[in-house]
Amino acid sequence: MKFLSKIKYPILKAIDVSGLTFLSPVVRLCYGEEPRVQMKKISQWILIPICAMALFVVIWAYGSKVVKTKSGSVPGPLATLKAGDSISKFGDYEKAKEDAYEMTGEEREEALKAAQARLLEMDPIITAANEAVKTAKEKHAADLIKRTSGLNKQLATLKGTYDASEQARETALAQLSTTLTPGDQSAYESFLAKVKEHTRKTDLEKEELAKITKEIKEINDEKSDSVAEALFAQTRAAEERQFLQKQIDQLTKQNKALKIATAREKIEADSTALLTLTGPAALKAAEKIAKDESRLAKTEDSTYAGPKTLGYQVKRSILCVFTGFLIGSMIAIPIGILCGLNSTFMAAMTPFIAIFKPVSPIVWLPICLIIASAVVPAPEDSTFMNWLWEDAWILHKYDINPAFIASAITVALCSLWATLANTALGVASIDKDHINVARVLKLGFWPRLFKIVIPSALPLIFAGLRISLGVGWMVLIAAELLSSSEGIGKFVWDQFNNGASDSFAKLFVVVFVVGIIGLLLDRIMIVFQRLVSFEGSPTAI
Amino acid sequence: MLELKNCSVSFGPPSNRVDVLTDLNLTVEKNEFVAVIGFSGAGKSTLISLLAGLQEPTTGQVLLNGKEMHGPGPDRGLMFQNYSLLPWLSVNENVKLAIKTVFPKMTKSDVADKIHHYVKMVKLDHAGDKKPHELSGGMRQRASLARTLALDPEVLLLDEPLSALDALTRSELQDQILNIWENDKRTVVMITNDVDEAVLMADRIAPLTIGPGATLAKEFQVNMERPRDRRTLNDHPEFMRLKTQITLFMMGLNKNAKGKSQAPLIPMPDIRPKDFSLPSANIRLKNKSSQPTSAA
Repeated sequence: MKFLSKIKYPILKAIDVSGLTFLSPVVRLCYGEEPRVQMKKISQWILIPICAMALFVVIWAYGSKVVKTKSGSVPGPLATLKAGDSISKFGDYEKAKEDAYEMTGEEREEALKAAQARLLEMDPIITAANEAVKTAKEKHAADLIKRTSGLNKQLATLKGTYDASEQARETALAQLSTTLTPGDQSAYESFLAKVKEHTRKTDLEKEELAKITKEIKEINDEKSDSVAEALFAQTRAAEERQFLQKQIDQLTKQNKALKIATAREKIEADSTALLTLTGPAALKAAEKIAKDESRLAKTEDSTYAGPKTLGYQVKRSILCVFTGFLIGSMIAIPIGILCGLNSTFMAAMTPFIAIFKPVSPIVWLPICLIIASAVVPAPEDSTFMNWLWEDAWILHKYDINPAFIASAITVALCSLWATLANTALGVASIDKDHINVARVLKLGFWPRLFKIVIPSALPLIFAGLRISLGVGWMVLIAAELLSSSEGIGKFVWDQFNNGASDSFAKLFVVVFVVGIIGLLLDRIMIVFQRLVSFEGSPTAI
Repeated sequence: MLELKNCSVSFGPPSNRVDVLTDLNLTVEKNEFVAVIGFSGAGKSTLISLLAGLQEPTTGQVLLNGKEMHGPGPDRGLMFQNYSLLPWLSVNENVKLAIKTVFPKMTKSDVADKIHHYVKMVKLDHAGDKKPHELSGGMRQRASLARTLALDPEVLLLDEPLSALDALTRSELQDQILNIWENDKRTVVMITNDVDEAVLMADRIAPLTIGPGATLAKEFQVNMERPRDRRTLNDHPEFMRLKTQITLFMMGLNKNAKGKSQAPLIPMPDIRPKDFSLPSANIRLKNKSSQPTSAA
């Protein structure tokens, strides 16, 4: 009990620092502190937001049905959830395949057994799914015929009537044309008027027919939910079977350990065989062994090469945004400090800040791409790039290429302004008394900078960094999309160009993924900002 | 020995010059406690800035031991009116910053000892790890005092150190400062606006006349034995005499200043705000407005 009451205020303080203040009434309620007040706060800051979100989901579900697009109707919450599930399934499959590639010994055999057993189970599932799709389609088709039959009939009768009347008018006019005598102007005029009337009527009739045809087409184009469901199940099953087959491949003929073992055996056999050979045959055999050995070495170094999953792309995007953020901060903080310290320097910098700040990432990116691809050497030409590409701690997994660097620099160029402005403000608005303290202590430039100026400006510097990271995250997605740098932006672009039935829904999933990661980044920065803040510290601009 | 010789301080461009202080002459002997007393706005803070070197005199000289001083330095420890503790540092760290600056070569353990010494001297050893915002006003001012003392200054300059504190804390701190000064004598100049405080603490009291162009008037010598006991002060004839004398002198200054104040140089136009109120209110206002006109 004593321990519990001891940690109450540390918990509340941690909640306050992390900015998750909506949790503090819950904690207070758990400690039985003024239950009525806490319940009121909980209903305001937890229940109401939940209700608002529920309302949003309902509106989204209904609203999505209204808008029809070329890629089908706008995905509702359920379709989005399903797309999210299929994205995560894809990730799981790729992970399983990667694991399978590296598996050895008993583990491999067990995994193989499990995969084969599951594959056998798949056949009836797939047959059933195919059957379900067939029945659903048939039922839908029958349903359509039933719904359109009335319209079709109407169309046929109308067409008959219209054709007949058009024919009749045509013949009447043809007859009239033979009675015309040249020079009789009034007769010609009335003839022309009649012909005009005839074309007008024909057009009107055609329009009428087109209207009905369109109506029929609209009904035929309607997507059936049951068909979609059946198709979804079918795709799922087919995907799983394909995955199992690929996994089995990775466990057997593609398996790294197995490949190495067979290659070794072959080399050994060839080596023993070599001992018996002389002349050109020996040379040929020796050359073959040398070739096989170098291939073996490559296999030993290899890793599973599969398509990129969203998980990988998210990680790469986060790496990229932090790289850009770091570059931007390293430029913005020193310049901001100089601007705050020295008004002459500030005056010199103002035109640059004013001109470059509003430039869109879309403009920076191509410039950065061209420069980065010219300046950043290929991995095979530079030891540093090669190290980044092959060996660097964790980084080597993320293919640091010119596109990555260009995206990071674009993030830096777009995000550094907030940090710069806030740092300059923070340094310039130091409490005059603190400066006087520094003067009385006769601090030199550097101690004054590090002991007085920077600590006093830190809250604002962090406020700027927080804004910068938010801007950088927004800019990054666009930069990746344009530069085809592997990342969330690339995922968006791929889905946009991919005509699959659920790619539209996957874009909606990305909205939430990007939003939630952005929120987390912001929260992290808030925690840092609160940690460096002090009583009476200035707030952000 | 700290001296001001014919100092004056003016601000602003030549066309619109404001003389804050004129013709200042002050001599503070070694280990003497001098109080400067004056009304708010008289230029007291400018005077202490002048002594601390934060403000250069427009004319005249500031001398320490006969040497002319330019710029601030740790030999004249200034204790600020609003504490000026660095809010991101704890009490100990604030004191440490001062010690590290004045004694850069001191070893870690010596620095720690010195911090402890000064923090204990102001009776803050229980709150050494607290940040300024966690302390009361009195504790903050004590921390500020510890930091100033840690500079080991030749001259201690106190800029209205107690004016922001409540009466009880104030008398407690007066005793503490006196106690510290008596144990470790050094030259002190204290700015104050409290006659009792000045008489209780100082050896000599220099009244600052009312600005603009304030200057130091004739000094009052405090001939009271030390240590002075706050409990018996009200029965002390010398204390009562000085207190009355100084209070009367200061009030006289105030009256003179009011008499001196001139009419505004620019004649004000005789205008009145237009009345948009409802008719009934209008009548009432009209009746009222006739009176101030006649009074003016």
